[in-house]
Amino acid sequence: MSTLLDIRNLGVTFDTDEGPLKAVDNVSFSIQQGEVVGLVGESGCGKSVTALGLLRLIPMPPGRFTSGEVFFEGRDLLRLPTDELRTIRGRRISVIFQEPMSALSPLHRVGAQLMETLQLHLPLDKRTAWNTSVDWLNRVGLPDPEAQMRAYPYQLSGGMLQRVMIAMALMLEPALIIADEPTTALDVTIQAQILDLLRTLKSQDASLLLITHDLGVVWELCDRIVVMYASRMVEEGPRRELFENPAHPYTRALLDSVLSLTGRADRLSTIEGQVPSPLAYPAGCRFAPRCPHAFARCHQEQPPLYSIADKRHSACFLSAPKKPDLLNPCPSEPLNP
Amino acid sequence: MPPLLQIHALKTWFPITRGIFSRTVGHVRAVDGVSLDIAPGETVGLVGESGCGKTTLGRTVLGLEPRKSGEILLGGIPLWPTRHHETLPLRRRVQMIFQDPYSSLNPRMTIQEIVTEGLLEQRLIRPRERADAAARLLREVGMEPSVLHRYPHEFSGGQRQRISIARAIAVRPELVICDEAVSALDVSVRAQVLNLLIDLRASHNLAYLFISHDLGVIRHIADRVVVMYLGVVVETGPASEVLDSPAHPYSRALISAVPVPFGESRKRTILKGDVPSSSHPPPGCRFHTRCPLALPECAVRVPVLEPITPGSARHVACIRKNEISDKSHDAKALLQGVFQ
Ligand SMILES: Nc1ncnc2c1ncn2[C@@H]1O[C@H](COP(=O)(O)OP(=O)(O)OP(=O)(O)O)[C@@H](O)[C@H]1O
Ligand SMILES: Nc1ncnc2c1ncn2[C@@H]1O[C@H](COP(=O)(O)OP(=O)(O)O)[C@@H](O)[C@H]1O
Ligand code: SF4
Ligand code: SF4
Ligand SMILES: [Mg+2]
Ligand SMILES: [Mg+2]
Repeated sequence: MSTLLDIRNLGVTFDTDEGPLKAVDNVSFSIQQGEVVGLVGESGCGKSVTALGLLRLIPMPPGRFTSGEVFFEGRDLLRLPTDELRTIRGRRISVIFQEPMSALSPLHRVGAQLMETLQLHLPLDKRTAWNTSVDWLNRVGLPDPEAQMRAYPYQLSGGMLQRVMIAMALMLEPALIIADEPTTALDVTIQAQILDLLRTLKSQDASLLLITHDLGVVWELCDRIVVMYASRMVEEGPRRELFENPAHPYTRALLDSVLSLTGRADRLSTIEGQVPSPLAYPAGCRFAPRCPHAFARCHQEQPPLYSIADKRHSACFLSAPKKPDLLNPCPSEPLNP
Repeated sequence: MPPLLQIHALKTWFPITRGIFSRTVGHVRAVDGVSLDIAPGETVGLVGESGCGKTTLGRTVLGLEPRKSGEILLGGIPLWPTRHHETLPLRRRVQMIFQDPYSSLNPRMTIQEIVTEGLLEQRLIRPRERADAAARLLREVGMEPSVLHRYPHEFSGGQRQRISIARAIAVRPELVICDEAVSALDVSVRAQVLNLLIDLRASHNLAYLFISHDLGVIRHIADRVVVMYLGVVVETGPASEVLDSPAHPYSRALISAVPVPFGESRKRTILKGDVPSSSHPPPGCRFHTRCPLALPECAVRVPVLEPITPGSARHVACIRKNEISDKSHDAKALLQGVFQ
């Protein structure tokens, strides 16, 4: 497998009335060809800004890059001339947003919008563009595709629109699809249809960056997982290893609070306190105010992203390689009993 | 114990109007014949796809939507319509917590004013007792009384939801309708608020009608589950039974659709198409247009919600209920390839 997308030290800050807001801080991860990577974390942790940032879809100002490179097929997207970037964005990378309505024009019929997308990038005549569009609507399981081609977006339900968006994203057979909470606004029965559809992508050797806060969806679909907390990456690893043996205290607490819902335990395990405001992040580890394992150093220094095993990283002092000088101070409890 | 709340054959329809004279051209049958009891201290989980009528049912119980027909009794007394002076004390006994902790709190009122408004309106406290009452309520929901004079926008989603809860329990209700009360909260805060709701249930002997699309949350909090589809109840029964072994084809599809971490990659029933419009619900069984087990008969006969076996607490509305609840070999063969 070759590396398709390589994000290095991406940093995005918004200049707001209350001061600079670091929405994405030093995020680095890569996506291999044919791989499904899940980007997870609670609302506001910087998932969408990461995705929009690497595609340069963030309004600037108020946004600005503070650092980073994003290599896609060997070229740095952050430094590419706009016209070249636009070609890549339509043809090689496509995006599925949470709110399908926002990505479709309310004034034009669904069919016209699909055909326009096709004809913009491929030398197709009208007839072929129409047939190809219908064919894709069929593939994404939309009932009566010819009728949907003639409909306006407002005439379709949320689930149907999301499938139109997916058809539009897949039509040009991109190498990378970025899906930002593609099913969050949908019912679980419709979500099941969409997940089924996204699963078929895997067999087509396309790569997928799936952004979600739903760990169940991640478990079903992803090969590898990147966990974010308060604008930073806290952990990264292959799906099963990360779920079964989370290294970072935040990942563990998050999994516990989700998993205790699947049993009928009397009390849910919670994470005390709340996510800090991005305008006032704590000085040291951003999870320190809520972390049951925090010790003095955590409140003073930001932990780096340690490499803990093959393809696994964790940004916690307790994950530091066990060199003698780093064994001190000891955590009060063993991390992985 | 007699039921606290009895809903009998309740219908809430919304007119669809057209033209400058607002001619009524049809109705959205949001709730279309629902019967449901809630015992004192019981938590009933209400689930179903978007638009199936859950919120409308809750709002109708509170009198926020007009009924078309049917009865709502609280402790055996009809809740609507009665004259205002009679309903005021009754109304106190049912409170609601809404999904959106941002829009459900008046931005121009202080926290103290918000949580004690109902107490004053019901004359349960005197104005000078406000601060004490508010401080006590905030402590009950795990917040510092020092925030009494602040405004809602100064708080996080989880804190605002705690304030909504304080407001709801202030007047000592017996039933609280929670409409997606934790859905907008972050995972790490959701568990805190759920634990709070569970503690209050015990300390105040509250009954909940708990509406949520999150079946994990429902499994955790509910004693009994009611599954709705297009304005009607299709299945009800003890929470663990319904969620672990749903009987109705719709409940099966709904529950199998939820992805769970560590779940085996299950074979799930992928329902085709979307929920039909509730202004023109399909005839016969409303689910027949999407049901993998539908027979020609399902398009004509309306299935009745009845016990799955005589005397059982599980009720199912499906004409094939005997076949699908049967544990025999034939029944398994029937479901094979359709349901896991
Ligand atoms: N005031 C209203 N006027 C007209 N139609 C309405 C009104 N309120 C609700 N409806 C319709 O009634 C049906 C049931 O809506 P309701 O809000 O009860 O669904 P729900 O089950 O709570 O859905 P969700 O899970 O999305 O909250 C829907 O078709 C909705 O569009
Ligand atoms: N256009 C913008 N202007 C100012 N702040 C923004 C803007 N877009 C996002 N943010 C902030 O950046 C942070 C990360 O947001 P986002 O990436 O959307 O989070 P999520 O992980 O939920 O997708 C949040 O604090 C959000 O409020
Ligand atoms: S660095 Fe310290 S505070 Fe941060 S997660 Fe690790 S132990 Fe907890
Ligand atoms: S009555 Fe028929 S259509 Fe309805 S759920 Fe049962 S089998 Fe399916
Ligand atoms: Mg987002
Ligand atoms: Mg609702």
